Amino acid sequence: MATSSPTAQGSPAPLHSHPPRDTRITLLMLAPVLILLTIFVIVPTISAIYLSFFNWSFYQESEFVGLRNFVNVLTDPEFRAAIRRGLLFVLMTLPVQLLLSFLIASFVTGVGRRLATTLKIAVYIPTIISAVITSITFALIYEYSGGLLNAAVGLVGIEDQAWIGDVRLALPAIAVPAIWMGLGLMTLIMIAAMLDVPESFYEAAQLEGANWWQRTRYITIPQMKNVLLYLLITGFVAAIQQYELPLVMTGGGPLDSTTLPNLFIFNHFRGDTYQGYSIAAALLLFLVLGAVSALIFRVLNSEKLVD
Amino acid sequence: MKRRTLLTATAASAAAASLAACGSGTPGESKDDAAEADGRTPIEFWHRTFTPFENEWYAGIVSSYNDAQEKFFVKDVEVPADAWDQRVKSAQAAGTMPDVYTDPSTMDEGARLGQFLALDDLLDAEQLENLTDQAKELVTVDGKVYGYPLLLEPQSALFWNKDMFEAAGLDPEKPPTSWDELYATCEKLLPTLPDGAFALTTAGDQDTFAWATVGQQFQVAGHFPITDDWSEADAEDAQYEELLGFYKTLREKGYIPKQPLGAYVEAKAYGEQKCAMMTSGSWAFSEIASDYDDLLGVTGIAPFPTSDGDLSASVATLGNFKWVIDAKTDQPDGAADFLSWCLAGDVANLVPFFVGTQFTKAPARPDVADAVQAAPEAADAPWSAVVSEDIAPASVPTPSYPWDILLAMGKALEKGMNGEDPAKALSGANGEIQKVIDREELAGKAPRD
Repeated sequence: MATSSPTAQGSPAPLHSHPPRDTRITLLMLAPVLILLTIFVIVPTISAIYLSFFNWSFYQESEFVGLRNFVNVLTDPEFRAAIRRGLLFVLMTLPVQLLLSFLIASFVTGVGRRLATTLKIAVYIPTIISAVITSITFALIYEYSGGLLNAAVGLVGIEDQAWIGDVRLALPAIAVPAIWMGLGLMTLIMIAAMLDVPESFYEAAQLEGANWWQRTRYITIPQMKNVLLYLLITGFVAAIQQYELPLVMTGGGPLDSTTLPNLFIFNHFRGDTYQGYSIAAALLLFLVLGAVSALIFRVLNSEKLVD
Repeated sequence: MKRRTLLTATAASAAAASLAACGSGTPGESKDDAAEADGRTPIEFWHRTFTPFENEWYAGIVSSYNDAQEKFFVKDVEVPADAWDQRVKSAQAAGTMPDVYTDPSTMDEGARLGQFLALDDLLDAEQLENLTDQAKELVTVDGKVYGYPLLLEPQSALFWNKDMFEAAGLDPEKPPTSWDELYATCEKLLPTLPDGAFALTTAGDQDTFAWATVGQQFQVAGHFPITDDWSEADAEDAQYEELLGFYKTLREKGYIPKQPLGAYVEAKAYGEQKCAMMTSGSWAFSEIASDYDDLLGVTGIAPFPTSDGDLSASVATLGNFKWVIDAKTDQPDGAADFLSWCLAGDVANLVPFFVGTQFTKAPARPDVADAVQAAPEAADAPWSAVVSEDIAPASVPTPSYPWDILLAMGKALEKGMNGEDPAKALSGANGEIQKVIDREELAGKAPRD
């Protein structure tokens, strides 16, 4: 790796009794982030771990209950169902998002500059719309009486559907706005990754007579591996943690069919007399997220690109 | 350079001045609040966002109290209803709850956990006595009073559109009283309704079923889904199966929509004439009066039909809004003074509330109820006595057992409505309820007969 430090250029490093200037500047620049992380992540996490061993009700002395909250969560079929539902939601949203983003990005990188800019703006707009506004908009689209979607399917002779009132349809109905919201950022990142692939690779492939699929299969996707890995991890975490859409659109129903893990925890936070259960559930969800993310890293094995 | 310095200083001064003009420096406190509270002990009061009229009444009563005395200054905070639970929970965790707030829940759990301050030593005994028996029961736990009710309101009543009844050849003054009559009414209404409109709307999700159908559960079975001593679950009852079958029939026959047209607590779908009849709490009449006043004259309100048509036993759960004092308040005397002045004092403070909400809520004090009925506006509101005389007195108070038990029955009702075998749905509920009884060691803890 190239570096401009005198040591790397062969000059003898002077002996200092204090950290080198670069180190001090690095620490100084990291300080705000470290301080904020400590205040908003590290301290609350430690506090949450501590509180998860108690029955905490705000008005009484907390009662130490050991691992009881964790046992209650792990033996609760509704928690396990919420996790399974979350994973199903990831399967409904993430592959579609990745595929659509890839196709849009491929298209955008292949068209003229003006059209590319228009497409990028169009695809990014849903990202900057608040999830609550999106939820309300889609709830109106899915309205049973007078909703846009039922009006549309009515034109082809299909009877009104309870899009968010039917146990079989509600989760896929919520997956659609989730895909729509996440598409913009994912597409922009993919465009950036595609533009980063050296043009000479494609020129060489073209000379060899490679078609679009072969160029994509053997050049674009391998060159985007780290970006795809990043999108897979962040997309997975974002999808399984989704809770605004079901909270606003369905309240988790019908019959819990849209109660995703975070909504499950949120409902317990709002409704439970004691807070130990929801804290333990949140920590266990954190473990699930960490484990699945680690698994993805292990399977796809992130590595540095070789020029 | 000097000019730039001068400009910078001027801009900074202007910014500081405008910031100072904006507020007092205390989040949520306006400049006026700060000025008026000067030298007075501050009291904070939270209530949910209700209808526009109710919000105005809350602001008005706080303002009147602040004008009526000079010792305390109450800051009125209106919290959006859908954010209430999380805001309260966060404030409780942080120890920043207001001194006084409104609360619709049963008192038992809060009293057991020490969330509320007992009012027995803070209010005059005469004021605590001056409540209806139903109201006293709602706020008393083990002989102590933990809240002061503003109102009682049945959580289910039948609203119907008389014009739509007439168009269907039905008697507009004769609402159905039994399930069979309700089916027949729906059957007659359906062919006459516009596309996308339904005969009836009801509760449609487990959470709403949980609290809104307690009265129905009691009416059909004659007991709650837990034994009187709270030692065993008691949900597997053929009568409950009939109740599940009732909602299943309404859904299967297309009398109610497959997807709720709106929240149970709102009258929007009814106001937009997407249904001819609506089940909702008595408060819905206030919304109709406020937002759909063209329907006020053609809307009837009556007790919701019972399984057998006997309306002497109401199927409504009795809801309420009471004011409570947070146990961690450092101003118990000020909080009690404010609460008693507003709710336990001059009748004239409360009458406008009940008249303005269109006589759809029952007062918690007999003297207020008399004054409300004597108000000149009552003559123009033929429904004025329905809530306070026909529905509320026979309503079933919300049971004090844990919410998870109510929810288990709510879930069974939603499953039944969606076509699951009623016996299987109730068996599941029975198991859930027994789990709660065992987990929370409820056996023998029933507080009431």
